[in-house]
Amino acid sequence: MANHKLLEVKNLKKYYPVTGGLLSRHLGDVKAVDGVSFYIEEGEALGLVGESGCGKSTLGRTILRLEEPTEGEIIYRRTDITKLDKKGLRELRKEIQMIFQDPQSFLDPRMTVGQSIGEALLIHGMKDDKEREQRVMEILERVGLEAQYALRYPHEFSSGQRQRIGIGRALILNPKLIIADEPVSALDVSIQAQILNLMLDLREEFGLAYLFIAHDLSVIRHVSHRVAVMYLGKIVELAEKNEIFQNALHPYTEALLSAIPDIKQKKKARILLPGSVPSPLNPPTGCRFHTRCHRVLPVCHQEEPYLKNIGSEHLVACHLY
Amino acid sequence: MTNRSTSSSLTKYYWERASRNRLAVAGLVFILFLVLLALIGPFFTTDPTAVNFEEKNQPPLGFTIEESVYNLETQQLITKSIIGTKEHPLGTDNKGRDLLAMIISGARVSLMVGLLATGIAVALGTLIGTTSAYFGGWVDQVIMRFTDIMMTFPFFLLFVLIVFIYGPSLIIIVVVIGLTGWTGTARLIRSETLSLKTREFIMASKALGASNSRIILAHLVPNVISLIIVIATLSIPGVILAEAALSFIGLGDPLVTSWGMVLRTGQQNLDIAWWVAVAPGVMLFLTVLAFNFMGDGLRDAFDPRSAV
Amino acid sequence: MERAILTVKNLKTYFFTRNGIVKAVDGIDFDLSKSECLCLVGESGCGKTVTALSIVGLIDSPPGRIVGGEIYYDNVNLLECSREQVRRIRGKDIAMVFQDAQSALNPVFTIGNQITEQIKLHLEMSNREAKERTISLLEEVGIPLPEKATDYYPHQLSGGMKQRAMIAMSLSCNPQILIADEPTTAVDVTIKAQILDIFQRLKETRQMSLLFITHELGVVSEIGDRMLVMYAGRLAETATVTELLNNPKHPYTTGLIKCLPDMTQAKDRLESIPGTVPSLIDPPGGCLFHPRCNKALAICSEEKPPPIIVNEGHTVFCHLYSHSKG
Repeated sequence: MANHKLLEVKNLKKYYPVTGGLLSRHLGDVKAVDGVSFYIEEGEALGLVGESGCGKSTLGRTILRLEEPTEGEIIYRRTDITKLDKKGLRELRKEIQMIFQDPQSFLDPRMTVGQSIGEALLIHGMKDDKEREQRVMEILERVGLEAQYALRYPHEFSSGQRQRIGIGRALILNPKLIIADEPVSALDVSIQAQILNLMLDLREEFGLAYLFIAHDLSVIRHVSHRVAVMYLGKIVELAEKNEIFQNALHPYTEALLSAIPDIKQKKKARILLPGSVPSPLNPPTGCRFHTRCHRVLPVCHQEEPYLKNIGSEHLVACHLY
Repeated sequence: MTNRSTSSSLTKYYWERASRNRLAVAGLVFILFLVLLALIGPFFTTDPTAVNFEEKNQPPLGFTIEESVYNLETQQLITKSIIGTKEHPLGTDNKGRDLLAMIISGARVSLMVGLLATGIAVALGTLIGTTSAYFGGWVDQVIMRFTDIMMTFPFFLLFVLIVFIYGPSLIIIVVVIGLTGWTGTARLIRSETLSLKTREFIMASKALGASNSRIILAHLVPNVISLIIVIATLSIPGVILAEAALSFIGLGDPLVTSWGMVLRTGQQNLDIAWWVAVAPGVMLFLTVLAFNFMGDGLRDAFDPRSAV
Repeated sequence: MERAILTVKNLKTYFFTRNGIVKAVDGIDFDLSKSECLCLVGESGCGKTVTALSIVGLIDSPPGRIVGGEIYYDNVNLLECSREQVRRIRGKDIAMVFQDAQSALNPVFTIGNQITEQIKLHLEMSNREAKERTISLLEEVGIPLPEKATDYYPHQLSGGMKQRAMIAMSLSCNPQILIADEPTTAVDVTIKAQILDIFQRLKETRQMSLLFITHELGVVSEIGDRMLVMYAGRLAETATVTELLNNPKHPYTTGLIKCLPDMTQAKDRLESIPGTVPSLIDPPGGCLFHPRCNKALAICSEEKPPPIIVNEGHTVFCHLYSHSKG
């Protein structure tokens, strides 16, 4: 694995302003992503894990500039893509692509599979129909589907097949980085395994880097080199995969790990987090997790902890350390 | 998981679903019949405006009417029988105009007004609705407030005013209905577009680098077409009835024979020539029913949740 | 073994569609004992939800219809009861918790209102008594400040809270059997843990029988006593949870377990089951799993596998094991 930083995100913020009242006053902001920094190297898979509302999907979309960042830098290969103009952005599309979550909704029901996959080529200038057809068929076979499926419509396929189509569509421009937003959450277990294997194979074959977003830690484990844990818009822990799973430091990570049911052992001591995730409109003061933390200290109510390197690239944002 | 035949396009699938609804199919058949009538009918019938007082108030074929006339000279009530003839299969009105010819002419008028006016209204409504929803923000706000205002606009008063200034004509009817009737469509299309906008395939297109115009034209519009078709089909009856009502009260185009106009004549002579009112009445009724059945059938066929 | 409180025999529920007859459930048998948690396990389309709906009489008819079998509750065959009788049992003796709390709760009524209405429907109680009972139910499922919570509308509650409210509603008439259809599937991991905890406690304190439908084996291992693995409308294997997860026999079960991303060892590649679930209209002959089975024998494509008892309480429907029986 090259030591070349492909993507570096610095203090990225995405706020959604909330207005109210007769004159549409600015009441506050939903701080979906609130100061996130990390990097991904070439060919590396970074797993981003967190529960609903933590901002991981928003983060993925903001990196692609499908949402405009409120603050911060996104550096792709030495270019700050937050400053790219329209033309530059179009070129960027060839480098960073996205795979989506819901197989029922990420394909246009009125376009054939071939048209959906080939659309990218059309947008980026490949006008020749025959050439596009050829490329589409190659990609279909590469993701494990038959070339003749290009003429069919999404509703004729199963969820797993649709996800393969989605992967094919992302792949056709030869990107270097793929942001996968919960690509297997909506799939059955046996199909999940097929798709994860496909993604691993493709990564090897094409030297792809992944930002793999998921809420299921056990899935993340199989795909990632490093893992980042997100809570309420911030990264609370980031480390190599094995470090996270064997030596989790942040109490939230501990809770996540203990919540995973294990089929080999039956009753294990589980950390139950009280209550539910606070609203990102009004996050708790100090450490955002302190309201539910089982190892909370007095300082946690007042001061926000920063992401620190504890050693061997294990980063954690917690006053315990 | 679906078990449909390979490479079946969505259109074919919807067509199959729609054709299972017998009422909808019946409606379609009637409309096709009406179109046929409108297109080739005039070649087989006489001029609907041809006045012939000799043959006035003739009943339809197979009927006989007793007409009593008081003869001033002989001071007697003379009863005459008028028999329906083959020349005027549906009878004649009080000025001897052939009813069948008038009905056929009326079919042409109704279809033309229905299709044109609805066409304008739906096209306008779609354009406004998609634009408003796609751009959102203040564009959406401005357009929607404008739509609200237009919705409360008194179409009838505007129509009377224009007729007062320019005199009644078919074009005016079509244009006024078209330019004021788009608001309902705009709202419906806007809300459908709003929900489509958030579907992941729109985001996926953006991620691939598609421009706004590409997304609107290649993705949004094709996905609202089924809604447009349903809205249009269900709007046509309203338009046809509007034109009929205007003609009935005398604001229609006097140079054109429409069902409303025939109804007007029929209503005035209901006691002696009931067929003049019944014929257009029945036609209006069946036409409205036909479009409604077809529209309902289409709507059910397009809705993925209804089990057809 | 405990006396069975619910016995299902050869249940067949088919859906009659334009494209053919969908054999959603095609001959399954099982018993549910008192205070037992039985897990119905399988992937989407295997028929587990249809089974549950068949028991409580909520199959949409048309196009669905229970075409065969018997369901005995309290020595009465539910399939021979009138709609009225089934309606009385449903909600009172046999209650159901649905997967999507969002759509199962009526958005225009407070949760207190919805629960008291349920109570008054089935039990003779005054308003005040019903209200008191509602509060104690909300407390039982762990909703904080239950007196205040009764005045909340569903949209004011978080996902986990809504789920709890639904569970409280289902418990309102002290059912003997609670059927839970994938209650932990649509929720976050930490909420999942909370919900499972509630079910665990309920099982212990109320001695209620639980029919738990899920596709997650991890959840089964936490809460189940016995489990049934379904595939394409038929049974594949049944046993106690510990027995089945440690000693699976059916190739589908083994495959499923192997597919799971394993927490104990980092494997590079996941095992997967090739192919997809067959169509339930005109399914292949013989064993429905044989086209995807890497251990298929010749007989598998011809004959339906009979139930074979492998161990005490462990039955598998697979031809591989009939040889050992001789």
